[in-house]
Amino acid sequence: MRYVKIYNEKMQEFLERLKNYGKLYAPVKISDKFYDRKEIDDVKKISFDCLRTIMPAKKFFIPPYEELFEIDIENADYKEKIEETEPFVLFGLHACEIVALRILDGVYLDEFPDIYYANRRKAGIIIGLSCLPDEYCFCNLTRTDFVDIGFELFLHELPDGYLIRVGSPKGHKIVDENPDLFSEVKKEDIDAFKMFEEKRQKLFKYYGSFDNIRYILELTMKDKIWDEEAEKCLGCGNCTMTCPTCRCYDVQDIPDIDGKHAKRIRFWDSCQFRSHGLVAGGHNFRPTKKDRFLNRYICKNAYFYPLGTSYCVGCGNCTYFCPANINFLENLIEIRRGINA
Amino acid sequence: MHENKGNVYSLYKCRVLRVYDLTDDVKLFLFRFEDPDIAEKWTFIPGQFVQLSLPGYGEVPISICSSPMRRGFFELCIKKAGRVTSKIFELKPGDFVGVRGPYGNGFPMQEFEGNDMLLIACGIGMAPLRSVFMYALDNRWKFGNITVINSAKYGKNLLFKKELEAMRDVAEAENIRIIQTVTRDPDWPGRIGRAQEHIRYANTRPDKSYVCLCGPPQAYHDIFTKLIEHGYNPKRIYVTLERRMKCGVGKCGHCIAGTSTFLKYICIDGPVFGYYDIISTPGLI
Repeated sequence: MRYVKIYNEKMQEFLERLKNYGKLYAPVKISDKFYDRKEIDDVKKISFDCLRTIMPAKKFFIPPYEELFEIDIENADYKEKIEETEPFVLFGLHACEIVALRILDGVYLDEFPDIYYANRRKAGIIIGLSCLPDEYCFCNLTRTDFVDIGFELFLHELPDGYLIRVGSPKGHKIVDENPDLFSEVKKEDIDAFKMFEEKRQKLFKYYGSFDNIRYILELTMKDKIWDEEAEKCLGCGNCTMTCPTCRCYDVQDIPDIDGKHAKRIRFWDSCQFRSHGLVAGGHNFRPTKKDRFLNRYICKNAYFYPLGTSYCVGCGNCTYFCPANINFLENLIEIRRGINA
Repeated sequence: MHENKGNVYSLYKCRVLRVYDLTDDVKLFLFRFEDPDIAEKWTFIPGQFVQLSLPGYGEVPISICSSPMRRGFFELCIKKAGRVTSKIFELKPGDFVGVRGPYGNGFPMQEFEGNDMLLIACGIGMAPLRSVFMYALDNRWKFGNITVINSAKYGKNLLFKKELEAMRDVAEAENIRIIQTVTRDPDWPGRIGRAQEHIRYANTRPDKSYVCLCGPPQAYHDIFTKLIEHGYNPKRIYVTLERRMKCGVGKCGHCIAGTSTFLKYICIDGPVFGYYDIISTPGLI
């Protein structure tokens, strides 16, 4: 891998120049507690200490609402609505979010590739940023705390700048086209990088191997804890909307008022909603709140074989944004009680 | 076999050729592709399904119930159950619909070759199994004895009742046994009882048989027990499942089922699953 360094003084210029490669989106503070990834005009507004945004990066690739087809009802004609996506730059993605995008890639591109997603993915330039975990993070357990591919550039914080890993041809291009911004990595930068990594590792709340959680979860599915926790759940679906790997969607045909045309739209859906497991005739495969509650734990902790990690990337969003204070990680730790890893 | 390389959600235009009433709330539709190239090339495996679109109303996943050997057209057996299917019910010959697919794994028909086949259908479950049955009839020399057990609550709800009845005596001479049974109909002149109670009348040899099963999920465990009691090999029992797939291509997540060690998309990993998958995975049925 190619490594370069950028000094803090040149960061502002670097961010300005990123705009040459496409619309720049980066986290900005939108209230006391929350951040969102927005289009950036003034690069000074970019927040570097943002750990989680209210909407995960998936929204740039799978929009919450999207039109797939325009339908001519009388002639049964379906016209696909595929628009060229302008290049855009996503700044400040953390390792977990980049792994999450790779999981979405696996689902959306490996088999039966989804062209709507593929177009946007091709247009997206990913600039990663190192982070220090808070009490909600557990990416060390899910082994998603470090990412090797899936980004153009990845910035690691140093005392006087950033150590940059170059992860793709597009990333090389950005470095090569702006030689005045970057300098060589020195011995003391490597030491600083190591120190940062050590400090970061020490901040996690739990340590050990977490891979057996999917067996333990299966074995404890009848435990009382799930009844109690599901009782607290409001069924609002916040956890799935803020999850960087949740990707369920619903499709509907919306007719125009003249009855001659219609739109086929797709929009985010959630397994926490009653309608999710419903089939024609009224049978529901997940009729109770507990079924739906447990379904998310099952789905998130299942293995995504192409990557060798679980669907959960340990970002902690579902816990952070839960209005009922249900703690995803603590529940898993609770059912794991007895294992001292 | 998926030809639309550009967009997996694109549809082929199909015309309704004929509509038959099967029961009060089930109709059989015969479709033909408008594009002659597609009509010639398009094929499927019994047990696969298509996504059928009614312009302006939406899309529904429906099992194909005809034989893949008859190229150029296909049949769908549709029960009036929801918003879209109620509207599909109003289709007349000449109307257009959109179709994409086929999707799913289908039954492993090649594995079945040289063996007996026991097909057990409860209610609407006859639809995907009719495809298996018709395929077997078209390739009669490839398979041994065949038994079809078609069951429903009432005689009037039996799917393909007349078709199966008409071929019953001829079929017997070809080592094909057709058993139609109802559970709650006192006026039904034929067999009475649940499907599993008629397994003993099948002409299939348990040690040489494959079993295909389709029906409401609640019925499966009783049928499994009975099959194993009769000596059928659990490894050779296949079940087809249903969900309300929105995409059919493993994206939308509506058909995700299983547990954390066996999480499956029913649309691409299924809808046909083996007995051991079913019993080791709560939530699949």
